[in-house]
Amino acid sequence: MRAGRRLWLAIFLAPAVVLFAAFVTYPILSALAYSLYSWEGIGRRGFAGLANFIRLFTTFPYPRLLVGAFWHNVVVFGLTMLIQNITGLALALILARNPWGARAYRAIFFLPVTLSLVIVGFLWGLFLNPVFGVINKTLGMVGLGALARAWLGEPETALITLTLINAWRWVGFPTIVFLAGINAVPEDYLEAARLDGASEWDVTRRIIFPLLAPAVTIIVILTFIGSFNWFELPYVVQGVSGAPNRATDVLGLLFYRTAFGEVDTGLQDIGVGSAIAVLMFLMLVTVSTVGAVFLRRREVEMG
Amino acid sequence: MMRRLCTALIAVALFATFFPASVLGQEPVKLTFWSWRTEDKWVYDRMIRLFQTRNPGIKIEFIPFRAPEYATILSTGLTAGRGPDIIHLRAYGGLETFAAPGFIAPLDFEQVPELKRFPLQTIAGARSRKDGRIYGVPFATQTLVIFYNKKIFAQHNLTVPKTWDQFLTVMRTLKDKGVVPLANGGKEGWTLEVLSGVIAPNFYGGTTFFEAVTRGQTTFREPAYTNALAKMLELRPYMPTGFMGVDYATMQQMFINEQAAMFIGGSWEIGFFKAQNKNLEFGVFAAPPERADQIPWVSSYADGNYGINAKTPHMEAALKFIRFTATLEFGQMFTDLLAQMSAVPGVVVRNPQLQQVQAMNRKATPYIMLVGFRWQAPTGSTLLQSALQGMMAGTLTPAQVGEEVTRGLSSWIDAFRGR
Amino acid sequence: MSGRSRWTPLLQAILIANAFLVLAPMVFMGLSAFKTTREIFQHPLGLPTVWSLDNFSRVWVDARFALYIQNSVIVTAASVAIILFCGAMAGYALGRFRFRGNDFLYLYFLSGLMLPIRLAIIPLFILMRNLNLLDTLWSLILIYAASGLPSAIFILTGFFRTLPADLDSAARIDGASEWTIFTRVMLPLVRPALVIVTVYNLIPIWNDFFFPLVFIQSDHLKTLPLGMTAFFGQYYTDWATLFAGLTLAAVPVVALYVVLSQHFIRGLTAGAVKG
Repeated sequence: MRAGRRLWLAIFLAPAVVLFAAFVTYPILSALAYSLYSWEGIGRRGFAGLANFIRLFTTFPYPRLLVGAFWHNVVVFGLTMLIQNITGLALALILARNPWGARAYRAIFFLPVTLSLVIVGFLWGLFLNPVFGVINKTLGMVGLGALARAWLGEPETALITLTLINAWRWVGFPTIVFLAGINAVPEDYLEAARLDGASEWDVTRRIIFPLLAPAVTIIVILTFIGSFNWFELPYVVQGVSGAPNRATDVLGLLFYRTAFGEVDTGLQDIGVGSAIAVLMFLMLVTVSTVGAVFLRRREVEMG
Repeated sequence: MMRRLCTALIAVALFATFFPASVLGQEPVKLTFWSWRTEDKWVYDRMIRLFQTRNPGIKIEFIPFRAPEYATILSTGLTAGRGPDIIHLRAYGGLETFAAPGFIAPLDFEQVPELKRFPLQTIAGARSRKDGRIYGVPFATQTLVIFYNKKIFAQHNLTVPKTWDQFLTVMRTLKDKGVVPLANGGKEGWTLEVLSGVIAPNFYGGTTFFEAVTRGQTTFREPAYTNALAKMLELRPYMPTGFMGVDYATMQQMFINEQAAMFIGGSWEIGFFKAQNKNLEFGVFAAPPERADQIPWVSSYADGNYGINAKTPHMEAALKFIRFTATLEFGQMFTDLLAQMSAVPGVVVRNPQLQQVQAMNRKATPYIMLVGFRWQAPTGSTLLQSALQGMMAGTLTPAQVGEEVTRGLSSWIDAFRGR
Repeated sequence: MSGRSRWTPLLQAILIANAFLVLAPMVFMGLSAFKTTREIFQHPLGLPTVWSLDNFSRVWVDARFALYIQNSVIVTAASVAIILFCGAMAGYALGRFRFRGNDFLYLYFLSGLMLPIRLAIIPLFILMRNLNLLDTLWSLILIYAASGLPSAIFILTGFFRTLPADLDSAARIDGASEWTIFTRVMLPLVRPALVIVTVYNLIPIWNDFFFPLVFIQSDHLKTLPLGMTAFFGQYYTDWATLFAGLTLAAVPVVALYVVLSQHFIRGLTAGAVKG
């Protein structure tokens, strides 16, 4: 019986363990190790210590590309928090009052989340075309022609425009998460406060916001991970070199380009590419771990 | 009984899916042919059909990719030990990056005797610097020019400008009349590199500068070069509104639909323009130099080569096709159908625009980054394309562009270091 | 409560405006798919003069859309099936059995929730090459299945733990085999969790572009998102066809969403919303 139970345990666990170890754990550990070797194309040569990192930090144009791309990720994170998540919060607060059509609105807002970023990217690329696109044409028609510009072509607006496209796709997500958080607030808290004569704003600020903290933490962490993993949208809309003049270059593109080759050459630099991956990896894991611990502690405090 | 029959049927179906007919019967050899020439697919399909009727045992599938992604996709495919059998390769450094690691099968005169008749200058684009061997059959030479819409020019009584100032005057006139003078945009960096390849040589001194800079006697910081780039800025008022967001497709659309009077690009456009709008009457001219008595420089280069994957299991069939691409018949068809200058010697040019281009080539200079500076990363083209986007958008000065390019190249060009 | 009614029109206005922002681009995309390119350029906002299906047929026949969709279906279905199968078994073992190393294994799988698997693309690429799986649908299926496991195990283990303890003991006393208990008694009870796991993985796998971009080179093996980029390269000046392609690519997911929106919303936010 004991032996039988063991055997069954093994049968139940083996497929998942094997699959996960082979295609997640092993590659990730290898990725860390790869950054310490020198590479010739895809062939691994000798142990190189920190040479790849030194090259990444000291050989022009790598350091500048790295800093530029990192900064753009930070900007994307900041703008997404400001635009997408605050909009999401506002929509959630409205929907929580259960206005007419709330269910339908909820479903509509969430719809773009299911669309492929490739579709979203190409679609908005066509809309934003300065000559034939519908956006500038519409602006012209309503008398705002002066606002029309090459949204994706100018270094000042390209990254913001991409972030807005991203927000269009994602805004339903924080909306639903916040909405779930608000709905979890016990109704009698709210009623009691209202009976005490608290205004709606006071109720929102004093009761709903504090209780929404776990949802906020989750959204912040997910936004962070999403922003620093950004790849599809800039790739599809702006191409692998982060046009114009690296204005939309992000770590994901830099990593892909370094590892798999620039536009005009197929030159691969696996060593430096791996070094970039390790840096991104450390950053993401640190932040999500700290975030998770933080989240846990808050939950305990409130529970 | 019924159940057994079903099982049998499913088994057969599975078998058929997993082991395509090749196991069951004599199937032709199937070759894949990758390319970045999405526009030319119809021509390649036609030539492949011709080849297949003569070689019934061979089937070829032409698969084009988006040009900006092509190098990366090819590189990934080849390192994966896969990739196509026949490869449309770029020339010079763009070929070297695939030839040097051994991805491409070297060719010799014994395998492809037709290559003997190609001029050395054309073959140069197919040669690896590493071992000096030839890695492909050159397919075309391209020249960078200015296209203009004859109808629009006639409507406004304009003639082809002979000097830079006349050029600017023509554009000003067009703009005043409400016509977009120039279709060019800056969303895709490579179209800006082409723009510089058209405009700049007259001002930096063409081949003299090319030789000096490739020998390391000067750098791209040289004022002659950066001042030449600065000339591009004078075109900005005549490009479409929001030109920084105008991509290649939009540029083409505008010129084809006669929404813009001129288009700065490469000779490869001729065929495409014709195919898209049969009523389009257009001519070509070389970028006008400072003074009327100067003969203008045009940038030209060997466009690329047809090569063979070193790992192809069908070497013999692939060689057959490669030899076919080196024949006069193929070259003539290529030039006739695509209106591009085939690299095969002896081809007769019948297309009037292409004849003009051919005449311009009497004073040709190598397309600077593509011929001279694509041998290692970061390539001159990568650096220049990004920096030019900055320059055209107004965030970099021409001098800063020269600085960027030189600094980037100095990571692999010793002569540039510390200069 | 009076405050509520006073604000109602404003709140409705905000909701309507936002719904418009979400829907307008999609409606516009759908309308453009029926127009000719010339019409799109000249009357971008108008209705099509003729409701022609030409663009769609061109996309379907010339652009191999049927093939791309078929590949996407195979990859998504196989990956989700493997995730459900392996995830349910592991979740059952971790949620219902006490054994040494249980906590360790659980945390080991959970670590996968935090590890950005895409950053391991270089080793994965080499691994797939060594396994001779590059440029096959298997390369995608395996990586999707493996990286989908942590969330599946997290969700399912939690569900199995909440089931009453005497359920399986009773069955065991009746002499049922472990396999029967698992498949006949336990699995049906966690069906809601299986639905969540399915949706949670289905959409990201269906939409993924990164792994096909690196792993797949052959045209006939491309999934829909990757095939889309090839399609855009080929028809880049033909906007009517492009819009038809985009519409066609969006239809499967949107249609499914319209039918199952509640499941989608719950499933896709499963990691972030409790319960």
